Amino acid sequence: MSETVAKVGKKSGGTVEERKSATTRRASEWAERPPLPDSHYLDTSVYFDKELFQEEIDKIFNRVWLPVCHESELSEPLDYRTSAVAGNKPVVMVRGSDGKIRTFLNVCPHRGNIIVRAPSGSLAKGEPSGNPKNMTCMFHGLQFNTQGRCVEIPRETQGYQDRFCKANMHLREIRTEVAHGGFVWVNLNDECEPLEDFIAGAFGFMERELDTEPLEIFHYQKSVFRTNYKLWHETSREFYHDYLHYHNRATGMLQPGYFDRTYEVFPNGHAATGLTTVKYEAYEGSKDRILTFPGMPKNGWKQLNIFPACTYSLRSSCLRVSVMTPIAPDRVLIEIRGLGLRSDTPEERRERVMDHDTIWGPFGRNLHEDLLVVQNQTVAMQEGAGSKYCVFAREENNTIHDEIGLRSYYEEWSRRMGRMASDPLRRIND
Amino acid sequence: MNAQLNDSSMRESARDLIHESCLILNEGNWSGFLDLCDPEEFRYSVVNYSPEIRREQCWMDRGHKELKTMFDLLPRHNSDHAQLTRQPTVCRVSVGEKPGELQTVSLVTVYRTQLDGVNSPFESGQTSLYAVGRYIDRIRLDGDKATLLNRTVRLDTRQLDIGSHLIF
Repeated sequence: MSETVAKVGKKSGGTVEERKSATTRRASEWAERPPLPDSHYLDTSVYFDKELFQEEIDKIFNRVWLPVCHESELSEPLDYRTSAVAGNKPVVMVRGSDGKIRTFLNVCPHRGNIIVRAPSGSLAKGEPSGNPKNMTCMFHGLQFNTQGRCVEIPRETQGYQDRFCKANMHLREIRTEVAHGGFVWVNLNDECEPLEDFIAGAFGFMERELDTEPLEIFHYQKSVFRTNYKLWHETSREFYHDYLHYHNRATGMLQPGYFDRTYEVFPNGHAATGLTTVKYEAYEGSKDRILTFPGMPKNGWKQLNIFPACTYSLRSSCLRVSVMTPIAPDRVLIEIRGLGLRSDTPEERRERVMDHDTIWGPFGRNLHEDLLVVQNQTVAMQEGAGSKYCVFAREENNTIHDEIGLRSYYEEWSRRMGRMASDPLRRIND
Repeated sequence: MNAQLNDSSMRESARDLIHESCLILNEGNWSGFLDLCDPEEFRYSVVNYSPEIRREQCWMDRGHKELKTMFDLLPRHNSDHAQLTRQPTVCRVSVGEKPGELQTVSLVTVYRTQLDGVNSPFESGQTSLYAVGRYIDRIRLDGDKATLLNRTVRLDTRQLDIGSHLIF
């Protein structure tokens, strides 16, 4: 226990021994703040307060870089992929004839209709009311090229004369970069910093694995869950909950070296958990993972959490990237992608898919367990339900059961929100 | 599509096997299900086509032995213990690729009855439609005995909520 924690504990809650001797807590004690520094716990309002949620969208999601898809999802010129970011803002990513991927708000500037409706496809084929190579709003037939320019307004001059024209109808383009294993990142803030400045070197320890050769998606799943986006992200930012997963206990926690794995915290709220070796064969029916990514040792595992809602988890043979899109305080779209190398032989790809599905995927052993918890947390934390504070006070020299990954997240959250997570309904400067 | 089977008794045998497999799975009788499957040859997979990434996907692919291991480990995992009710409609029974084999296509609906998944004070006992798709089965007939050689579950549903430790 750190000195700070000990001092705070003595001041507000009696000695540790005195508290240990108590069996239960009365309502007034339950409502007390934990006897910990402000940085070591949070008020559960951060998960359910509607105004805080809108502020998160404005101050965080509208201003940071967010991964939206992988480049292999739109591998050919004229391919497109639609998505929603930052509280359900519809976007469309399009690969132009020049090979460049651009992102646009997927909204017709005329009457606000969604322009491209399918989750993915190719513009090579014309729509019932539009020409090939263009995105067509089916409502009134306005067409936009892959550079976002309006190229067709039916009966333009008859209706608008010289008062209004195509130039007034171009799409809203969104800052886009392709990086870190070929993911397409967008930022809704036109004045944002470059992606690399935002990442602040966090991908350094995974760069060789991700960027030596092109990756390719082989798995995609999504669902809307009844939980707050942060709760899902938090399952990737602390490993103390490996007690939840039999697979992780057998292959990790009970194996030598597990407790040596360390966290590294980066600017802007990103946090990495360094390389560890997993004994996959300790889980009955599994075997060593020899097949890996470039530079990754067999059975290796590295993980990186990008603030505010993305995780890269590279377990030897397969990369899982999960992205959360907050919809409401208690609703989040979670998208999970599995990736291998584009150069995989069919046998290699099959092996990666099998490895991926063992613990991840809708029938995987771990995913189901994590999702059970985050939805029940949301029940326990809903307003008035009784859970007022959450604690992330484990300090173990930044090793695997240390909760530094959560503290670093809320440090960045506080910086951007101007509020302490432990007292979020009050602004820091008030 | 292979030729339709005219022998009604063989068709009935295939139908009985598919219905029995669902009843047994619905009861959570995992060893009973494996008893219906060929121990050497049986393969079970869950697949779908994702329009999002425009690719075929495989979400599970296991043989008889691997399934048994998976079932044996279920008590060690934290699960939601929801009751899954598989309801098949056998639509097509065709002559298989090899002598004595049949190929069947069944529409399948999976319902989920909640127990302890989330907020059990409110939701336990609640049944909802969980997934729809098809069973594509390969069956061997040997006299009166029908044995599953392969089951491919081709899902139309791609959003499976919190997923499941069980098979469909």
